[in-house]
Amino acid sequence: MKYQVNRRDFLKKTSAAAIASMAMGAPMSGLLSSCGTPQMPSTADSVILLFMAGGMAHTETFDPKKFTPFRKGMEAKEVLSTFPSVPTILDGVHFSEGLESIGKIMDKGTLIRSYVAADLGFILHTRHQYHFHTCYEPPQSVVVPHLGAWIAKEKGPLNPVIPPFINIGQRFTVGEGEELKAFHSAGFLGSENGPFLIPDPTAGLDSVRPPIGMDTKRFESRNKLYQDLVSASPIGEFGSDYQKESLKQSMEQAYILLNSPEAKAFDLSQEPKESYDKYNTGKFGLGCLLAKRLVDQGARYITVTTEYEPFFGWDTHDNGNTRLKDMKKMIDSPIAQLISDLDASGKLERTMVIVASEFSRDMLTEGRPDLKVQDQVQVPDIIEDMKNYGMHRHFTNGCSMLMFGGGIKRGHVFGKTADERPCVTIENPIKIASIHQTVYHALGIAPDKNYKIEKRPFYTTPDGHGKAEIGLLG
Amino acid sequence: MQRRILLPFKTKKLLFVVPVVVFAFLVFNSPALAQETISSDGETTFWLWHFLGRLHPMVVHFPIAFLIFAAILEFFTLKKFDSKFRPAIQLLVLIGAVSAIMAAVFGWLLANSDSIEGELLDLHQQVGIATAVLSLLVLLLSQRISKEQKSNQVLVYRSFLFITALGVSVTGHFGASLTHGEDFLTEILPFNGSSEQPEESISSQINLSAYQAELNPETEMKLIGEVRMVLAHNCYKCHSGAKIEGELRLDEKEFVFAGGESGKILVPGDPSKSEIIRRINLRKGHEDVMPSKGKLLTDSEKQLLELWISKGAPWPDGAAQQSIYRVAELAPRKPVLPRATAGMSNPIDLWVNEYFKENNLDWQAKIDDRTYLRRIYLDVIGLVPTTEEFLAFSQDTRPEKRTIWLQKLLNRNDDYAIHWLTFWNDALRNDYTGTGYITNGRFNITDWLYTSIRDNKPYDQFVKQLLSPNEKSKGFIEGIRWRGTVNASQRTEVQAAQNVAQVILGLNLKCASCHDSFISDWKLEEAYAFANIFADSTLEVSRCEQPTGTLAKTKILWEELGDIDSAANRAEKLRQLADRLVQPANGRMYRTIVNRIWKQMMGRGIVEPVDEMDNLPWSQDLLDWLAVDFAENGYDIKRLIFQIASSNSYQSQSVSIKSADQLIADDFQFKGLIRRRMTAEQFSDAVSQMIYPLFDSKEMKYKPNELLAEGIKGPSFPRASLVANNPFLTALGRPNREIVSTSRDSQASLLQALELTNGERLNAALHNGAVKWKAIYPNPDQLTQQLYQKALHRKPSLKEQEIAKAALGKNPSSAQIQDFFWAVLLLPEFQMVY
Repeated sequence: MKYQVNRRDFLKKTSAAAIASMAMGAPMSGLLSSCGTPQMPSTADSVILLFMAGGMAHTETFDPKKFTPFRKGMEAKEVLSTFPSVPTILDGVHFSEGLESIGKIMDKGTLIRSYVAADLGFILHTRHQYHFHTCYEPPQSVVVPHLGAWIAKEKGPLNPVIPPFINIGQRFTVGEGEELKAFHSAGFLGSENGPFLIPDPTAGLDSVRPPIGMDTKRFESRNKLYQDLVSASPIGEFGSDYQKESLKQSMEQAYILLNSPEAKAFDLSQEPKESYDKYNTGKFGLGCLLAKRLVDQGARYITVTTEYEPFFGWDTHDNGNTRLKDMKKMIDSPIAQLISDLDASGKLERTMVIVASEFSRDMLTEGRPDLKVQDQVQVPDIIEDMKNYGMHRHFTNGCSMLMFGGGIKRGHVFGKTADERPCVTIENPIKIASIHQTVYHALGIAPDKNYKIEKRPFYTTPDGHGKAEIGLLG
Repeated sequence: MQRRILLPFKTKKLLFVVPVVVFAFLVFNSPALAQETISSDGETTFWLWHFLGRLHPMVVHFPIAFLIFAAILEFFTLKKFDSKFRPAIQLLVLIGAVSAIMAAVFGWLLANSDSIEGELLDLHQQVGIATAVLSLLVLLLSQRISKEQKSNQVLVYRSFLFITALGVSVTGHFGASLTHGEDFLTEILPFNGSSEQPEESISSQINLSAYQAELNPETEMKLIGEVRMVLAHNCYKCHSGAKIEGELRLDEKEFVFAGGESGKILVPGDPSKSEIIRRINLRKGHEDVMPSKGKLLTDSEKQLLELWISKGAPWPDGAAQQSIYRVAELAPRKPVLPRATAGMSNPIDLWVNEYFKENNLDWQAKIDDRTYLRRIYLDVIGLVPTTEEFLAFSQDTRPEKRTIWLQKLLNRNDDYAIHWLTFWNDALRNDYTGTGYITNGRFNITDWLYTSIRDNKPYDQFVKQLLSPNEKSKGFIEGIRWRGTVNASQRTEVQAAQNVAQVILGLNLKCASCHDSFISDWKLEEAYAFANIFADSTLEVSRCEQPTGTLAKTKILWEELGDIDSAANRAEKLRQLADRLVQPANGRMYRTIVNRIWKQMMGRGIVEPVDEMDNLPWSQDLLDWLAVDFAENGYDIKRLIFQIASSNSYQSQSVSIKSADQLIADDFQFKGLIRRRMTAEQFSDAVSQMIYPLFDSKEMKYKPNELLAEGIKGPSFPRASLVANNPFLTALGRPNREIVSTSRDSQASLLQALELTNGERLNAALHNGAVKWKAIYPNPDQLTQQLYQKALHRKPSLKEQEIAKAALGKNPSSAQIQDFFWAVLLLPEFQMVY
């Protein structure tokens, strides 16, 4: 692929310029330190994935098409978008109504209009989410690590007391919870790289503070009692043992985290009211706030999800138009606020924020237009009822994503979809392996990173395929 | 008055001569003008240029030393330009610049005459030439300043000098990377997280001298075996049935001699004309080097290939049958037991004793009653002994009390079944909730499994019923039917083939179900033929997800085990498969199961990993003997457990392991039972039994109590193996049973420690237990004694009593008791099975 740049290409192109620029006092360290290291220099330290679980229609959000207002008896095939478009800060780029705040910060990132999700037979949420988060099609013959687990494994925690892979907002007790568990896993990378789960961001502190009902003093004396008994226990005579040692170490680490000032980052009540209110559109908005606070303290990878629950959230099998008004209200100001806050504090420079969904939606097309799959919903040809007005079918060939910070171009639009149904990607299609490799590239994780599992190499992306999309990086 | 050091006229002239010479070299270094000679790789170069080129590696040291030294001295003159160092600096710059130009020119010659290319070279060349030119500029500036007193140019001069010094370093680094390899520096850094496990070094096994003499059929066969081993380990990844890059395959004779995209790869008898030899000898990073990814071949591997080609590349036809991977014997083998010696009657001990003698190892000391009782309780029924049981055992004076109690535990059928259910649930990926159930794409086999374990169903029958199932046992081979379109290599028939191979036969077929394996001899066709047994209609073979148009045959992996009637229906095929696999002639199946049980009891298999039974066991005799003994005595798993747990090998002190890698290392030596951590289920059940139930009976997904005959008591609290998976058990290592899992990650992690430290479930149970204990044991000393007795089966030491006293006070609150519980339960002494 033409966008691929390896380290040497990069150096070759820049070395002459670098030598020239040195005369002007430009720093040299980047060039020198990258020599001989096996990894690319990184442009990002942290990643926040804001996941629009359930299938966010591109035509109703970041890639609006011709608006046809509702009227009784309208033909379904007339409808491309059910909202009018509004301008954004970028010339000629429009968003769907309700996303004005995000429109205002698009100068800080890149809008991707050409993400093509895989076609995995029936278009099913949990399978596509599995694919989105692991880059592998389910099922696999080994437990495949989540994107966050790879990052946790390769980069480790940024701050030793903050778990490197945090997952905010998803409960596993709702429908298809078992399917969700299947990919919220570190798999063969080992449980220490697994997700630290915070289903409810307002209760984030509960996960990192002493047990409920135990004050700090008691917590500390309990720990001291433990330490005293450990050193008095005769099993110490048996000498070193990795399981014993790892238990002691982990207990110590847990104690440090639960007692550390950083743990306050998990406590949203510490946030000034003004700022809290800006984010507070509900669980998702507060999840964004928690993500911001954690990144400030040195989190490595965070997912904040609108939460997947069948037929809720973005999973609009009916009332698409009505429900999307609420969904946009839920995400518009927190996402914009998160980007602005990170930008203002300078954190955006090294923090990559991604807004994405497992696939898009359309009113008529289910799956890829050329591949017939089982219908998920009934859509009448003539719309009489408002509940049928909206994007209710699963659509893969044209989804929108936003990316900000951590080396991503500012004020850029990547890719394009057709203006006529089925509004498929017509320029710069980008697939999940490229998205993953772009994230790894920004973090400085080599594209051919792999582990031998059952004697076979297992790569971050299947067979190591997919190239970082340099067109997204500034 | 300052002294001016001006270069003598001659030197000045040199400044102009050098560039002229440079250009002369460049212009005249043309094959058309010069006398030609043949260089090593066939390109023509005038010998003198070639010679001068080879001087490059020597000459390069001059500019590096002189220019950097000049830059260093320049630092000392920052305050005063006309320092006493000035003349020295000027001389250094002069020599440095001249030698830099020479180095650049020689380097250019070297690159051309030795045909070196590649991106790293380009980089080295560009930065090198730029640096040489810069050094010339520095020299001119330095001369001008001294001569014309242009102090306003001092800053420019100094910047250029420093940049040149940097440039020289960068060039030098790239140059060194060319000669030593790019990872020369970084490969030894501790934080260079090179993930690849070092492959077993095969080069050490190559004995070249064996082939120096005239080859005979036997040595030819051996030689080709080693050559194929080198090819397999280094080349198959890209050049075999699995993946064919450059249209070249190296996995079979005809392909090797046919060559690839760029023609023949070897000329029998002439290594120097053989492309493969040229390529494996190129330096890392070169465009043509092979392997292009990963490690280069070792010297002895290269020499072996050269020797083979120089001997005419013999490839006798029988060679294809000769495996390059270790393949374990299929047939059973019953070695003759070593003669019994004093104090040893258990056959396991006789074999272990032999092993210890051969390896100069000593027996560990025998464990005391307390440790033994705790061990067999945890290993046989998954519980810690109660205080009453412990007392009864310690008061038992019968000399055979250990085996009596062991048998007693094995007879506690339901407790035994509940404990071993966990092991089998993991292995057969049987769970109560999980992917697949919501769409009827998965079937639970718990009832069949529980009953089979409880009744100690003979293992051959157990396997038969799994493979040729009834409604209640069909879940294992039915697999998980995912919704949507799944990969060909994950369709349920192939899942069944993979899982039966892995769990029942200790064989990895995952590779071969997508393409010909490059980790074993198994071929795609064979994997499909095996999968076809599980299919309703004949499967079409897919290679790497592409249908091949070929229909699969129907065969068991080993011909020796018999045929399957390909025309039969599925039920009949499965019946035949079950019959063929369980026959005693299938030694592999019985080695696999005894090895698994051994691992459960002893902490590490005789072969590891337990799913790769082709690996070398630490004692072939012990493994073979146990397997045959198992088959000859009714396929009785309880009997096997008894045999192991009553041996001295089991009753010896446990051995600690410093790192998890040690367990799977090739040079692993068995020294005794490996100490390990309790499983999630063992820990939970211990807490539930001693303190307060961790799980509510509503969480139970299988209730054996309801199956019990009247009058028999079931477990008094919901045991962990019977409840649905939950975050607590997950954190402690219970796997998500979507794929087969035959060993658990037993290392602690932060997430686990957090769950134990502030997780609601454990803290709630400890709180409830504390309230209960407070009422029963108002006296803190008594409470301490009780807890130590129940949890650790010993009295607290004086020191421990003091610590407990300080923590509990005279009249402990339930909170204090709760914290005391917590501290004791998290002691490694409690958490380890030792």
